[in-house]
Amino acid sequence: MTLQWGYKRAFMRCGCLVVVGAVLQMAFGDFDNKFLRYPWGLIFAINYLYLLLLVYVQSAKWKWLQQLYDGYAMVSSLTSMMVLTIIFGFTRQDPATQGLVGALGFSRMTSSWIFNLMLLYFVSSLGVCVMRDVHHWRKVRLAALMSHVVVFVALCAAMFGSADKERVMVDLQLDRMTYMGQTAAGEERELPFGLTLREFQMDEYPAKLYILDAQTEESSQEFLSAEHVGAEAVVDGWRLRVKQSIDMAARMPESDVFREIHHVGAAPAVMVEAVSEATGERYEGWVSCGSHIFEPAFLWLGERYVVAMPRREAKRYLSRIEIMDGNGELWREDVEVNKPARVGSWRIYQVGYNTQLGRWSTSSVVECVRDGWWSVVQVALWMLLASGVVMFLTAQGKRLAPKKKEEKR
Amino acid sequence: MSWQQLWIFAIAAIICWVAGAAVALRSRRVGVASALSVAGSLIFFSYIVGMWIALERPPMRTMGETRLWYSFFLSVAGIAVYLRWRYRWILSFSTMMSVVFICINLFKPEIHSKSLMPALQSPWFVPHVIVYMFAYAMMGAVTLFAIYLWWRSSRKEPSAEEMGVCDNLVRIGWSFLTLGMVMGALWAKQAWGDYWTWDPKETWAAATWLGYLLYLHLRQQTKDYNVLFALLIFDFIMLQMCWYGINYLPSAQGASVHVY
Repeated sequence: MTLQWGYKRAFMRCGCLVVVGAVLQMAFGDFDNKFLRYPWGLIFAINYLYLLLLVYVQSAKWKWLQQLYDGYAMVSSLTSMMVLTIIFGFTRQDPATQGLVGALGFSRMTSSWIFNLMLLYFVSSLGVCVMRDVHHWRKVRLAALMSHVVVFVALCAAMFGSADKERVMVDLQLDRMTYMGQTAAGEERELPFGLTLREFQMDEYPAKLYILDAQTEESSQEFLSAEHVGAEAVVDGWRLRVKQSIDMAARMPESDVFREIHHVGAAPAVMVEAVSEATGERYEGWVSCGSHIFEPAFLWLGERYVVAMPRREAKRYLSRIEIMDGNGELWREDVEVNKPARVGSWRIYQVGYNTQLGRWSTSSVVECVRDGWWSVVQVALWMLLASGVVMFLTAQGKRLAPKKKEEKR
Repeated sequence: MSWQQLWIFAIAAIICWVAGAAVALRSRRVGVASALSVAGSLIFFSYIVGMWIALERPPMRTMGETRLWYSFFLSVAGIAVYLRWRYRWILSFSTMMSVVFICINLFKPEIHSKSLMPALQSPWFVPHVIVYMFAYAMMGAVTLFAIYLWWRSSRKEPSAEEMGVCDNLVRIGWSFLTLGMVMGALWAKQAWGDYWTWDPKETWAAATWLGYLLYLHLRQQTKDYNVLFALLIFDFIMLQMCWYGINYLPSAQGASVHVY
């Protein structure tokens, strides 16, 4: 296959961007987007749009400008972005990486000059294309136009708004108000509101019983889910059956029996019967995962195998927090995974808790996030969703084959 | 319903699909071929529904569970293409590919638990996975078609109509890839506070999305079907990397919340 001159020229342009990006990377280090912080991001974005409009308007006069958004430019910039994204996918993102990969910034791809320059070129080509499509509006290209517009808007918002994203991790302790958090870089950051953890709640899945090999320390793949009394399953040749189950239990000192208690540290306990399918050997006893207060309990099946219960998995957990804003106004919110709370332009996300204490945790980790450009991105994403539907509905009968020369603009 | 019953439903579904494919290949009885294939898909779907009920959660959490959906949607894509364009061989291809993925599940059984981590308990979970699996199935179908057109024994150049089928399948698949990606972004914002974090899964999803987008643009520029077919196969390899390849990729180990 011989490449047409249009492609050669377009790919050479991409090659030049890679070389320029590599030189800038080596000369100045990582691309720092701090200069885009509000209001500069917005100012740059408006000027950028004006510049693209100027390029499109002037391209009627100066034909060479059309090379920035013709079919060759789109194919070359798309190919370059795809190749860089593949390199991104194959490269472990680790700032400490040395060698050529580290020097070119591929191990910190989002901060690499090459990636950012190529993204700018891609978005610029797309932007001028959008202006051309809007100018020469045709109903048959509705789906393509919609996709172009919303991808352009989303990428512009992501680029120019990248410096305005703030993520602050806050470690909340029960009944203790805090205004301070930590950024990913480890810097202290004061929040414009105070947070107090009033309650931490957790629902857990039923306990699971596994068989461990004490010699190899390997656990069975199969398990018995102790959902109710009478539940049974065959695990590694042993038929396990739940005879009694207590959700919150503890073993009394110098006793083998578990009793129900409602006390901090209470753990699930299951009275289990194990019968060997092969030999008919039978064992019975209590099994518990224990807690930060009470010891776990195991049921030995002879000398090698043992029935054990790992800590129960969390089904859902939430933090009941009290928020005090700058005006001294106080209110309560529940923060749960997938259900963040909102305070002005901030959103508060449930991130973690003290896993050692589990349901008895007295602390909760939340993340406060602010993204001033989210509303723009959100509109673009919903429109992209709509354009996906339009593209699906209009997929039939579209002609994608190359146009005849006279049809080309 | 449990994993142990899969082979019963799988064999019943495969018998129907193979019979449907055979009828499509050997005769022009479109109704019979379609009815048999639809019956196979319904049998297989009833197993998925049974798993959904038994697990008390959507069976979409593990790799084996996503393979169930993939096998199902491949059969659906095959039937849709057969009904729309009457390609007699497509049912054989979709059946073959569905069987491969069912066999992986039969020979590598998974232990399923009802647990669903809190992050997955979102209204976006079901549509996100289903839309992606449907997109993967469409891209699987177009890859098979491209391989057939490229290496068929007659060495005939693909006709405009045949290339039109490729285009339509890619457009439908790409629109579903877009839907899946956007749903994932909206969900990620709700769950983690950012709509795009360049997690390895997201990176490969972007590469795949760009790859098929390149096909759609390149198609308007070139008639060289060697380049187009090579690109479709390359894109499908990227899609495999996005789907399960990252589970084995050293650069993604410990860096992705999507490794499952």
